[in-house]
Amino acid sequence: MTALRNSKYRHLVWLLPIVAVIALLSFGPPNASATVQPDPGLALVKEGRQSVITHDCSGCHGGGDPSMPGWLDGVRSPRQIFLIGPCADPKTPNAQPCFHTYPRNLTPDNATGIGRFTERQIFNALRFGLRPEDTPDTEITGMTPGKGNFPANPHYLAVPMPWPAWRHMSDHELRAIAAYLKRGLKPSVNKVPDSEGPPDFWADSYTADKIGTLKSPAFPTAYEQKPK
Amino acid sequence: MHRSIAGFPVVTALASAMLFGAVTVPAIHAPAAVRPVTVTDTLVSPPVLKNISKVPHTVEVNLVAGPARIALLPGHVTDALTYNGTSPGPTLEVNEGDRVLIHFKNNLPEKTTIHWHGLHIPADMDGSPLHPVGAGKQYDYVFTIPRGTAGTYWYHPHPDVRTGYQIAHGLYGAIIVRDPHDPLPPLPEKLLILSDNRFRPDGSPEMSARGTLQAVIDEENGREGDVMFVNGQVMPTIPIRSGEVQRWRVINVSAARIYRLAIPGQTLLHVGGDGGLFERPVEVNDFTLANSERVELLVRGSGAPATHTTLQDLPYDRYDPHTRPADWEVARDLLSLQYLAAPAVAPLVIPSLMRHIAALDTSHVGARRVLVLSQGMINNKMMDMMRVDVRSRLGATEIWEIQNVVTMDHPFHLHGFQFQILDRDGVPEPFVSWKDVVNVRKHETVRFAVRFDDFPGQWMYHCHILDHEDHGMMGILEVRSPQSRGKK
Repeated sequence: MTALRNSKYRHLVWLLPIVAVIALLSFGPPNASATVQPDPGLALVKEGRQSVITHDCSGCHGGGDPSMPGWLDGVRSPRQIFLIGPCADPKTPNAQPCFHTYPRNLTPDNATGIGRFTERQIFNALRFGLRPEDTPDTEITGMTPGKGNFPANPHYLAVPMPWPAWRHMSDHELRAIAAYLKRGLKPSVNKVPDSEGPPDFWADSYTADKIGTLKSPAFPTAYEQKPK
Repeated sequence: MHRSIAGFPVVTALASAMLFGAVTVPAIHAPAAVRPVTVTDTLVSPPVLKNISKVPHTVEVNLVAGPARIALLPGHVTDALTYNGTSPGPTLEVNEGDRVLIHFKNNLPEKTTIHWHGLHIPADMDGSPLHPVGAGKQYDYVFTIPRGTAGTYWYHPHPDVRTGYQIAHGLYGAIIVRDPHDPLPPLPEKLLILSDNRFRPDGSPEMSARGTLQAVIDEENGREGDVMFVNGQVMPTIPIRSGEVQRWRVINVSAARIYRLAIPGQTLLHVGGDGGLFERPVEVNDFTLANSERVELLVRGSGAPATHTTLQDLPYDRYDPHTRPADWEVARDLLSLQYLAAPAVAPLVIPSLMRHIAALDTSHVGARRVLVLSQGMINNKMMDMMRVDVRSRLGATEIWEIQNVVTMDHPFHLHGFQFQILDRDGVPEPFVSWKDVVNVRKHETVRFAVRFDDFPGQWMYHCHILDHEDHGMMGILEVRSPQSRGKK
């Protein structure tokens, strides 16, 4: 280094580590390029695809399997529309309230699907039931309304989206589903009407005393037993 | 197939599992209604701010925001917030090219600002939340009215988070910029400031309490009221003679209500919008006026003498289906138009071409931007006063694409710069006009062109439903001159 210190190029000494890094990146250790690394993005998307199939997302959101038209792109037939409230009882068709809810287009189309929402917003929808269009792209730090940055007036996904059960899936599994929906699906243009619902956006239906807590109770509860 | 969820049947053709708990539906509680008696006073314009300058082409005024005991609701004197003791506040009347000096004193117990909505003036004079005026403090707003901007504007508070509260308590006023060579013939002129409000039994504005269903509804819809005002009056009267043509300047200062205005049985001549006169008059049956938008109309006295008709707010569905009010389909009367039994007025000629408006040159566009409006957010973010969201170059012409991805209208307002709408959902705008707010309807995409020709600095853009704005549906644009690159 003495020679360098005396060199007329010594003012360029700060370049050395950068040059070294560039050299490593360019030529690299020989085994790095020899091993074919699986694409972690592709692996995640494929995991998400498996979860989407096993959790019957298409049962409401459309399509039979990923090879069929209309796969996950939302309501295409009146038979897919839910009627919720006392009016759903044929004996009281005019009873109120009466809500139509519409399984939405889950493909990443910008105008009619979920293209404008981030994977984190979709994760938050699956984990907390929070509608992506009402919830900022942020990590939710609380578990109940008003705690941490959990919205004080949460707007929940329309009934009967079964997020209260699916929220118990692992972070990884939920992220994989979000990755599949956002990156593994082709955008499909299908404008689905917006769901109706009560003015509290179902907040009163999804309180902890009705759906339990995100953290599962210790096993066994009063209704369970240790296997004999 | 039928299923019951805690007594709440659900029917669907699909046999999907339903894994959730009880579904109970809260009732929508109407706010405490204090219905005023029918009042039929003649419409009164707010006072005009007194110009204390003797210098030509200079307007110097004093404006004080402070608490006062007045009747926001006729017959109920309560604590309100006013400019110079009145609500609406006094009108600022200026000419194109005038130098304007406003000595502002904040006597409110909290910080405020005055935003000169629609005026093209320096950023530090814009009264954005970045330049608050503290309680008891003074600020001189100084700016020059650019040529070619004659039209109707308004001023209102714009502090961080408290805009809706301050406006609901009475703080708003009109601005009229006049063109000494106005192309329209001299006509009787009326100023109509439209607002709505709702009240407690004592006549003070009712603001929803935290944790109530009304708060959820207000957060979603924006705060609407059941009492409709024109210039702070309930159902006032405008007299008009047969054949007479009046020039109306209409401003929507409501927090959230979008008006669909019509006078049943007659058409209206739509001659101007946010940034002044159009090129040509447009005859309409009705039109929507979103929050903070302005319009200039020519209204003809076309009814039989000694009869009357009403200016109405027709039903307009801007709402999300969750919170759409039960009475949204009710037409509301705003004022009475009284046809006088006086001699008819001779017909007059309205020029078919009022002025030329050059379309902005979009052959060299500095940037094309997409801003996604959802509920309470822009581009999935809430407002952060420390964050610049959009950086633009001084002198650049840009195309902004505003995409609304939710099932509710959002009136989008850009501070400081008038823009020209290019198209809505791909349908070209029928004519060129200057705008500073555009109502982006449910699931609609609007593109506009804007040129940042002057005034570097930080500017707000936001949804003008005040509850959304206060909630954080706002972003910051920084316009930087090339010389200032690298500097903060």
